[in-house]
Amino acid sequence: MKRTLLYIVALMLTIAAMGQTLNVKVGSVIYQFPATQTGEMTYADSETLTIMGKTFSLSDIDKMTVDNTNVTANLVDIAYTNSGSAMVTIAGNVAQYVTPTINGNHVTIVQTNTEAVDEDEITYQLSGTTTDGEFALDGSYKCTVSLAGVTLTNPSGPAINISNKKRIQISAKNGTVNTLTDGADANESWKACLYSKGQIQLQGKGSLTVNGNTKHAIKSGDYITVKNLTLNIHSAVGDGISCNKYFVMNSGNVTISGVGDDGIQCDLEDDDEVTGETTDHEDENSGNVYIQGGTLNISTSAAGSKGVKAVGTLYINEASATTIITVNNSGGVDSSDTSDLVASACLKGDKAIDISGGTLTLTNSGQGGRAMNTDGTLTISGGNIDAQAQGTNYGSSSQGGGGFPGGWGGGWGGNSSSSNHKYAKGVKADGNITIKGGTIKIYSKSHEGLESKGTITISGGQVYVQANDDAINAASHMTVSGGYVCGYSTGNDGLDSNGNMYIKGGLVYAICSGTPEVALDANTEGGYKLYVEGGTIIAIGGIEGGSSLSQSCYSANSWSRNTWYALTVGNDTFAFKTPSSGGSGIVLSGASQPSLKSGVTVSSGNSIFSGMGYTDASVSGGSTVSLSSYSGGGGFGPGGGGGFPGGWH
Amino acid sequence: MALVGALIVQAEEYAYLTFETTDGEKASVAVSSLTLTINGNTLTAGSQTFTLSNLSKMYFSNTNETTAIEEITTATLDEAADIYDLQGHKVTKEQMKRGVYIVKTKSRTYKMIVK
Repeated sequence: MKRTLLYIVALMLTIAAMGQTLNVKVGSVIYQFPATQTGEMTYADSETLTIMGKTFSLSDIDKMTVDNTNVTANLVDIAYTNSGSAMVTIAGNVAQYVTPTINGNHVTIVQTNTEAVDEDEITYQLSGTTTDGEFALDGSYKCTVSLAGVTLTNPSGPAINISNKKRIQISAKNGTVNTLTDGADANESWKACLYSKGQIQLQGKGSLTVNGNTKHAIKSGDYITVKNLTLNIHSAVGDGISCNKYFVMNSGNVTISGVGDDGIQCDLEDDDEVTGETTDHEDENSGNVYIQGGTLNISTSAAGSKGVKAVGTLYINEASATTIITVNNSGGVDSSDTSDLVASACLKGDKAIDISGGTLTLTNSGQGGRAMNTDGTLTISGGNIDAQAQGTNYGSSSQGGGGFPGGWGGGWGGNSSSSNHKYAKGVKADGNITIKGGTIKIYSKSHEGLESKGTITISGGQVYVQANDDAINAASHMTVSGGYVCGYSTGNDGLDSNGNMYIKGGLVYAICSGTPEVALDANTEGGYKLYVEGGTIIAIGGIEGGSSLSQSCYSANSWSRNTWYALTVGNDTFAFKTPSSGGSGIVLSGASQPSLKSGVTVSSGNSIFSGMGYTDASVSGGSTVSLSSYSGGGGFGPGGGGGFPGGWH
Repeated sequence: MALVGALIVQAEEYAYLTFETTDGEKASVAVSSLTLTINGNTLTAGSQTFTLSNLSKMYFSNTNETTAIEEITTATLDEAADIYDLQGHKVTKEQMKRGVYIVKTKSRTYKMIVK
């Protein structure tokens, strides 16, 4: 029975493709009217012929033919060619709404009211190749531009230019390869190789390569979304993708390189009311970027550039699909305005950054560059993040390496925004930082690793930070109540709070570079304290004097370099590897009196902290380290030394 | 069921494109491989010619709706495959004298009066 039905369906589809068609040829345009739909075609005054609402001037008609061509409703097919003129074929049911102008391979369409189009919108299907062509569209209704294997180059303007301010789907047909290239114009007479004044929905399971030579590669005056599409942006004078209101990537594979500014930039629309995120993004003008699925690879090298920049909030999660983001930025500082230096960043959210999922690999090798940067708050509740600032500081050659007094990191950090220098930082937020989950690995070659100009609150996740200045620095209070936190500084404090520091839970492994730095530093000079109230603590190089230790602490005066230790608190054993250098002495704390073994062999456990620790560790061998009660106060005297640490683990 | 309906509509094959003049007369032209061209005030549809100023409409039809006495050109006569007199005798073009004849071409059949 099922087989019979399939035969019937197949037969029907076959027959449906055999409709009679009246073709009306006008220059390079063929209007195709299905015979079943034409009804009465009227002549008037020896001058016009009207078919399905489309009125032709009889003198314009080259010829009419009747054949069995199949007509796809709502379709306008544009076939470009390097020999002659583009051919445009227009389905009869939309003929009355479409007015084409063709000059060689420069095709301009004016689309009028399509409200009467049955069930769907007009689709403009582009195919063929031309080295001197264009697709321009004006009008006021939604439509789809289907890329069906087109290589479209316009040496004197944009490849696709849509003045229509409505939503436009740019869809690459499944399996097709499409390339858009615009010309170079020093006067920037147009905004992008692919431009739309209205919303752009980039989609389809084909591929689209965009070569921008004048300004942006892709620009929308409204929002842009990406779904499924394989999008390669090979060049742009400005941004790879530039839009207003908001940007959403749901899936697909986007690669951006060779751009003169940001990889992706989302601005606010000045003419509309500013909003936050809205339900289904209805009337949203937030400047937000939502990356919630797909693979995004961005390389930027322009001074002050951002891999992804949102003037609103940058959201990264996996709400739609697996998210993989890789950004490499080598741009360094934009010093074109010496009174307003601009640091480069892999990711920048002016208002905030919120990460709850995804795999992020962020590398900034530029001078004074940051892997992540926000003028507002940073919230991380999930994801796997590797953020590296590999560059040197800009405008200062020595700071960071030498270290500054503990407790004044915030003040020093504040200077970083002054006009004459920019410091290379792993992750920097001007607002509060909240970490509730995720696996986070941060490296800063020259300055602070994780820095907030407000508070830092960590309640979950795994956080490993290695930096040449403070590994983790808060201008205000810092609280750890859960998760696993390692702050490893090779030039300053491990964890440095310029307000109070609260250790209430979790596991904290902190390493400072040596006297006068400490592993856990609160701003005692400013009247603040370190409060040890819970959690498990390993502090190589000691902790801030005058601390409030409501949970007992213990100490050993020395430790061995590059050695595996096992700290056991109750039934939990945490194995950790000591650095190649660091402050002298070690302070430990746990929910109950800990025991410590040196020189152990780790046979199993859950590797964390970039291989420097194992939770739930099984160890063997080693020797017990004698621990003394620690009641706070002074440090351990000069220590550390012994050369520079190993590289990035 | 909807699909079956679509089948019927799409499968419809029209045999003619029928032209209607401003005075209501009709002339049907077979649509098979039909080409229409316009030259000045004349529209040529296959072997038929129409004066544009006389045309009011055209439409696809399944039957030959020709109602008018049409202007037959010598070219049309040249296309004649068979010519019969009213007695049913087959005649040649050269044998046609004053009288009424049935002229069959590839696409149409005409009743022709020779005066």
